[in-house]
Amino acid sequence: MERASDLELARLARGGDESAFAEIMRRYGPRVFRVASRFFRQRERVEEAAQDVFLKAFTELDAYEGRGSLEGWLTRIATTTCLNLLRRAKRRPELTLSDLTEDESAWLDTQTAGAALERHKAVERSVVAADLAERVLDTLSPDDRLVLTLVDGEELAVKEVAEMTGWSESKVKVQAFRARRRMRAAVEKLLAFERKTPGESLGSAR
Amino acid sequence: MRDEHITGMLENAPLAELSEGELEAVHAHTALCAECLRAYEAARVSSLLLRESAAAEVEPSPFFQTRVLAALRERRAREEEVPALSRLWRAAGALVSSMAVTVVALAALTFTVPVTPTTTETPDATAFDPYSEEAVLVAQDETGDAVIDYDQVFATIYDTSGAGVDDGQNR
Repeated sequence: MERASDLELARLARGGDESAFAEIMRRYGPRVFRVASRFFRQRERVEEAAQDVFLKAFTELDAYEGRGSLEGWLTRIATTTCLNLLRRAKRRPELTLSDLTEDESAWLDTQTAGAALERHKAVERSVVAADLAERVLDTLSPDDRLVLTLVDGEELAVKEVAEMTGWSESKVKVQAFRARRRMRAAVEKLLAFERKTPGESLGSAR
Repeated sequence: MRDEHITGMLENAPLAELSEGELEAVHAHTALCAECLRAYEAARVSSLLLRESAAAEVEPSPFFQTRVLAALRERRAREEEVPALSRLWRAAGALVSSMAVTVVALAALTFTVPVTPTTTETPDATAFDPYSEEAVLVAQDETGDAVIDYDQVFATIYDTSGAGVDDGQNR
């Protein structure tokens, strides 16, 4: 099964061959998880989304004719499925400094002061930043979140994002332009709070 | 260039893609413009956050495949249950359908058949009742028969006094 081509695997899985579908999951699971990670941060939600993606892919295998790569086809399904899941979820209207944890507030401190965050190791800093990023992205629309994560975060080309999402290239550009402005405004608000009350936050008071 | 606000530049492309010339222009302008400095700082922090967010990865758990395959089997089983239920439905279909038709027909009869209006009996001036008290008295006068009293009239009308009266009259 490991040597079978993508098209062969798709044909076998369509016929109900579970081992063929398991092989597809083994090959492209990491890719689907990577896409789902762009939308969700908690492991459970990423796994749920990835499961939805594969179940949907299984029911739509008839539509895969082998013209493009199976990976590209699955990536597209993963993107649209996750985008729809995110659209159904309620997003937070606004993020204020009082919502941040002590670590997140401290991370912002170091960014504005330019000082090193010595009490945290690099890995911990990354985790804090990723958590904070999640909170800020949560305040944006799913479309804004997607385009920013892919274009600015993963540094994908506009064309690649257009292929993943099914949007036109001009839509990707316009969406990214507007999303940058909205994210900058959200962060600017947090930084303004941070300047007013340096080092203070509800998180540090806890 | 130093006097031009740089917020548009920050929104046109990811910060990481700004050329050296563009970055020089940003630094030159933000040294003079507090508003653009705040915008640039926010853009820089945003860019950092997005890159950290992109670096965060979740790997599939060892049981992921098993869970998905179990979910697939469950879905198939549900899909197979549907034909079995439909066979059962077809078997009971005739009975259920006829009952449904009967109920619908009864309901239709109940609600759609017009109720015959109850006519209030109004006295009709033109109607002539030959057994009315007046008619009997008039008839007596016209025929010139012997004058009868009211008891006999009522007996004639309702025929309740027994055959004796009639017998007496007819003879």
